[in-house]
Order: sequence, then C-alpha cells, then structure tokens
Amino acid sequence: MAANPMTQFNVYRIGPEIKVGAFDISFTNASLFMIISTLAILIIFNLGSKKNSLLPNKIQLLAELSYTFVSKMISDTAGLKAKPYFAFIFSLFMFVLFCNMFGMIPYTFTVTSHIIVTFVLATFIFIGVTVIGFIKHGFGYLKLFVPSGVPPVLLPLIVVIEIISYLSRPVSLSVRLFANMMAGHTMMKVFGGFVISLGIVGGWLPLSFSVALTGLEILVAFLQAYVFAILTCIYLNDALNLHH
Amino acid sequence: MPKDPFKTRLEIAKNKLSKKNLYNKKDSSFSIGTAFKLSTELVSAVAVGTIIGFIFDKTFGTKPWFILIFFFVGVVAGISNVIKSAKNMQK
Repeated sequence: MAANPMTQFNVYRIGPEIKVGAFDISFTNASLFMIISTLAILIIFNLGSKKNSLLPNKIQLLAELSYTFVSKMISDTAGLKAKPYFAFIFSLFMFVLFCNMFGMIPYTFTVTSHIIVTFVLATFIFIGVTVIGFIKHGFGYLKLFVPSGVPPVLLPLIVVIEIISYLSRPVSLSVRLFANMMAGHTMMKVFGGFVISLGIVGGWLPLSFSVALTGLEILVAFLQAYVFAILTCIYLNDALNLHH
Repeated sequence: MPKDPFKTRLEIAKNKLSKKNLYNKKDSSFSIGTAFKLSTELVSAVAVGTIIGFIFDKTFGTKPWFILIFFFVGVVAGISNVIKSAKNMQK
C-alpha cells in the first residue's frame, strides 16, 4: 500500500467503463462495497427472520435486537406517529452501520467517507421530511419558520435565520458522518505509517495507538450510524408533531 | 384449545406500548443524539448562509454585499441552532 494516507479514499473503476450521456455510471469500488453491505444486511435479516423460533439462535437474536433497538429509538424520539416510517429509518440505520463497519476491515473501502454519499442520503431525508411535513400540515408547516412571541419588527430577520437553520440540516447531517469517518480512517492510516517509518525500535508506541484507535473507530462507526438515524427521527418528529 | 396465545400476548403488549408516554426526553438515547448535533450545527449554518449569499451575489451582481450579510445571518442561525439543541437537552 502507498504511504499516502489519502489513497485509501480513491474511487477506481472495476470492469468496463459505462457512460450514459454525460454521466459516468461505471461500476466502482464504492458501488461494490455498497452492494456488499446491502447483501450482508439482506442475508443476515433473511436468516434471522426465517425460523422464528421461541428460543432465538444467534442470528435471530441479532435481528431481533436491532429491530427493538431501532423501534425503541423511533418511539422515544419521534413518538408513535412515526411508526409507519420504521422501515425507512431501519434500512437507513442498517445501511450506514454496515458501510461504516465494513470500512473497519483492512483493505476495504469506506463508502461513507465520501461526502457525496452522505450528502445524497441526507438530501433524500431532508426532501422526504419536508414533503411529509407539507402533506401532514399543509401550508401550516411554514409556521415552523415563524416562532411564536416574536415582535413584528424582528420577524423578517427571524424568518431568514430560521430558513437558513432549516436548510443547514442536510449539510450538518452529511458533514458529521463524512468528517468523522474520513478523519478516523486518515488518522489510523497515519499511525500505521508511523509504525513502518519508526521501525522495530520506536514503532511500538504508534502500534499501540493504532490498536486503541481501531477500538475507538469501531465505536465511532456505530455511534455515527446511530446519530444519523436518531437525527432523522428528530427531523421527522419536527415534521409530524408541529410544535415550535 | 386456547386461541393463539401469541396473538393475545401481542395485543397486551401493543396496549401497553400505546399507553406509554410519547415523549420520554429524559432518556439518555435522546440526549446523546442532540449532543452530537451541536458540533456541526454551528458550522453548517454558517456555510449555508455564505452559500446563499454567494448565489444572490452571482445572480444580482452585487459582489461583496449579500455574502457579507448572509455570512453574519448564518452565524446567528448557527448560534440559535446550538441554543435550540441545548434547550432540547435540558428538557
């Protein structure tokens, strides 16, 4: 592997180049790892829900635990009204979690360390939540931008501020996941490089750091998937229960 | 033969669930989400404000002015975001 810590984020083509008009839709390593994580999710949850025994085996336990975990998360943050959106949030959480976790295996590619991936996810959430808000409340959803008890003189300024803070949601959602994943993986690579350059004499200290960092990164991988899903729930809560 | 014991248990569980309080904001899982929200909330609002100002400047040809105004509006929006999240955590 190259010593440059950023080469791990390179996207390269696997197989032939496919072009549709001006768009390059060739199969890349990013698409490969998205497919791998999706397949892993499908396999685990198919195996886990196949038997439905009263005493669950390990895979069934895993599937049931993740189900109750996400279900509890949704009812805690967005209330029972958000139950119909369980499927979406569950698949979102699982996809981000598996992409993050597959990135922790050496020589793999972390899909979520690219801002375009996380930004597309966040944009879909943002558009979806906005559409849901308008469907549920009609134009009353615009009241979200007009907080109660504001003097009329300040109202135009406040509305602009509220609109900017609403528009900043997808940015903050995507940047958080992307920055955490990219920073962590770069740091791990840098410490790995120190091990090589310091050799057998001084390499032990960065090696122990690397081990600790790997543990931390696994925690971050889980936590960021969790935060991504929980913020989706919070935004959904704002759209469903309009109280500002 | 008892009428499908699993279904009756499911009914009981569902009833319990609907009686539960809708907002359980003291739950730690809720506050950890908002805590992680704080860090990027400020920065992203500033970025969005600046981008909006940039777009306005491009379309109206008023080079530095909208970017300046919207930068500061973005800062205010970011701070108000952080305050909102912090208030949510305290509830």
